[in-house]
Amino acid sequence: MLSRLASAIGRNWGFTGALLLFAALFIGYHMLHPRGFSTAVFIQNANESVVIGFLAMAQTVPVLMRGLDLSVGAVMTLTNTIASHVVTGTPVQMIGGMVLTLVAGTGFGLMNGLIVVYGRIQPIIATLATGAVASGMALLIRPSPGGDISSDLNWALTNAIFDFAETLGFAEGGNAAWLQPIANIPVPLVIMFVFGICVWVPFKRTVTGRTVYAVGSAEGAAYMSGLPVSRAKIAAFTLAGYFAGCAGLYLAIQTSSGNADINQAGAYTLNSIAAVVLGGTSLLGGVGGAIGSLIGAGILRTISFYFRILSIDPLMQSLIEGLVLLAAVSIGALRTFRVKNTLELFR
Amino acid sequence: MTFRMKLMATAAGAFLSAAAAVAGPQTVEGPGANPTCFAPWDKSTAYLKWEARDGPFRVAVVNGFVGNTWRIQMIKTAKAFAQDSTIADKISEFKVVSTGTDAPAQLGAIEDFINQGFDAIITIAVSPDGFDRVIRLADRNDVVLVPFDNVLDTDKVMQVNEDQLAMGRAYATHVLGELAKIGKTSGKVLEVRGLAGNSVDRDRSIGINSVLDESGGDWERISVVGNWDDGTAQKVVADAIAVHGEFDAILAQGGTTGVVRAMLDAGHPMVPVSGEAENGFRKLMAEHADEGLKGISIGQSPGLVAIAMKAAISALEGNPMPQLISVPLPMATYDELEDGKNFWTDLPDNFFTVNEFPPCDVNISGPAIMAQDEADLN
Repeated sequence: MLSRLASAIGRNWGFTGALLLFAALFIGYHMLHPRGFSTAVFIQNANESVVIGFLAMAQTVPVLMRGLDLSVGAVMTLTNTIASHVVTGTPVQMIGGMVLTLVAGTGFGLMNGLIVVYGRIQPIIATLATGAVASGMALLIRPSPGGDISSDLNWALTNAIFDFAETLGFAEGGNAAWLQPIANIPVPLVIMFVFGICVWVPFKRTVTGRTVYAVGSAEGAAYMSGLPVSRAKIAAFTLAGYFAGCAGLYLAIQTSSGNADINQAGAYTLNSIAAVVLGGTSLLGGVGGAIGSLIGAGILRTISFYFRILSIDPLMQSLIEGLVLLAAVSIGALRTFRVKNTLELFR
Repeated sequence: MTFRMKLMATAAGAFLSAAAAVAGPQTVEGPGANPTCFAPWDKSTAYLKWEARDGPFRVAVVNGFVGNTWRIQMIKTAKAFAQDSTIADKISEFKVVSTGTDAPAQLGAIEDFINQGFDAIITIAVSPDGFDRVIRLADRNDVVLVPFDNVLDTDKVMQVNEDQLAMGRAYATHVLGELAKIGKTSGKVLEVRGLAGNSVDRDRSIGINSVLDESGGDWERISVVGNWDDGTAQKVVADAIAVHGEFDAILAQGGTTGVVRAMLDAGHPMVPVSGEAENGFRKLMAEHADEGLKGISIGQSPGLVAIAMKAAISALEGNPMPQLISVPLPMATYDELEDGKNFWTDLPDNFFTVNEFPPCDVNISGPAIMAQDEADLN
């Protein structure tokens, strides 16, 4: 049992390192926080991390097959503006609107995949272009910020399960005995689990999912082995679109509105790449996973949490954040010292 | 582990039920405290009143975008004002964070400060919408949330801003007045607009044009977009002068140093110019006023942050406060300029000169702000 664990850690060095770093940062933050380890703070942490978490998952899939998706932030912004129009009305209409939003994101990802595979264009260039298209569409859909997403929906989905039940009026307004063991779990974490992890893990285990890894390791070998390379590429971008759609939908619910903020789209795309690297996924493809990227997104967010606890000059914060990030990524690079064959450094 | 979870659950439950008992500010009748400083936006502005509590208070500023002179000066002003003798003993802890153009991070930072038990949170919103959740949380926890500069589309929080429409009107009123003095009641004017799609640009332009309309004169209007940026404004004004020849006046609303430079470069005669409160514009105006640059300088002051801080503390002390506070427009005409008082020849051109609001007892001078050493301010 122990040896199996040790071997799992050995095989997932990047992930384990990210997890330890995240745990250290996160526990440290809560120990310094005057209300640390309380539900309110966990809810706040979760809320702030959901969007970047989904986007980091979105970025992971193309990166695993040695591509980059520069459109994830723009697709998030596009779906955010769509959601701000369609997630309204009766509960059934709202759910319909949510499905429509996710379909739009997935569809955009599928288009990216088709362009990359059949257009034979490098992913980084193809998605740079489609990202600009998505930004443009977002501006058309919502030229100025606004939208009217129910504040009850916002409240229910950005709090603990207790408030969710209280707002929606089930389980005796959140006081039912059976609900108590889980009443303090933040709803955003449940959303991450159901719409993120529960989609990623089954996908990873399919032939298509494994082919994504194989393409990232050695595309030629994957092709020669008869793996469905084209299908895997299209699936990778489609899944990226789906996760970006989840991010946009949650952003719309979290802010009760839509905003075609192009600067924000760009910042989120870059942060998603940072989160992927922090989470132990290699930019060279083939190594890592979306759950690691979730941890990476958590690290990214937790670093900025410290600025609210410690007194650090506001004009120095950006610099310090950058230095901490650089240090964190450098820890990941330490494993190069343990490489027995220097040829391995080239992959 | 389970025991701790239970403990947490109980604590959180107790917190939630206690929090639900307080419900934020009450709407009351005016007038409010210190009405010359905290002027209500208009007659219909409601007044909000929080329960009075004892200081000193914990105050946080949650900035969004950082990286232009105005924002950096705003942060420096906030830190300088927190140490000002009129207010220092009312603040026990003061924090400033910048979250960039990232809505979840800004909302998260505000929520974190609410959780930490801060009394007041001052913010420049990254978006006019989307703050429902933190407003609800702030009310539940009796925290005073004060958006300023980029305000929210809501009447549920106390907000601080300058009246941009009135600013536009003041620009045009002064310029037309100067033209009337030299006998011009019609002619050709150039309007230099700001960032397209922004409500500040829209309102200032409406103000300018409504005064032109009401004057009854026959004004030929040329409009260019300068993005409130010296470089852009200089370029578009140079182009406009090349294409349209001479103007009788220029109505700029930002990037004004660039506007005047373009006039000087093109050998354009000095005419009345309206503009923002950039130090460079005031320097040029002081230098060239005799030649006809009889302008007016009004600005959106980075010092608004100080008014917002003061308003937050006044609210915490239990004073009735206008829901939307209109800060008096800090203006200076060409004949009021005085080196070392409302402009500084030894400070950079892109420094924003207006920082003093006498009715509010906010008197931080330019050199005092620029002298702030970032390292030892915490």
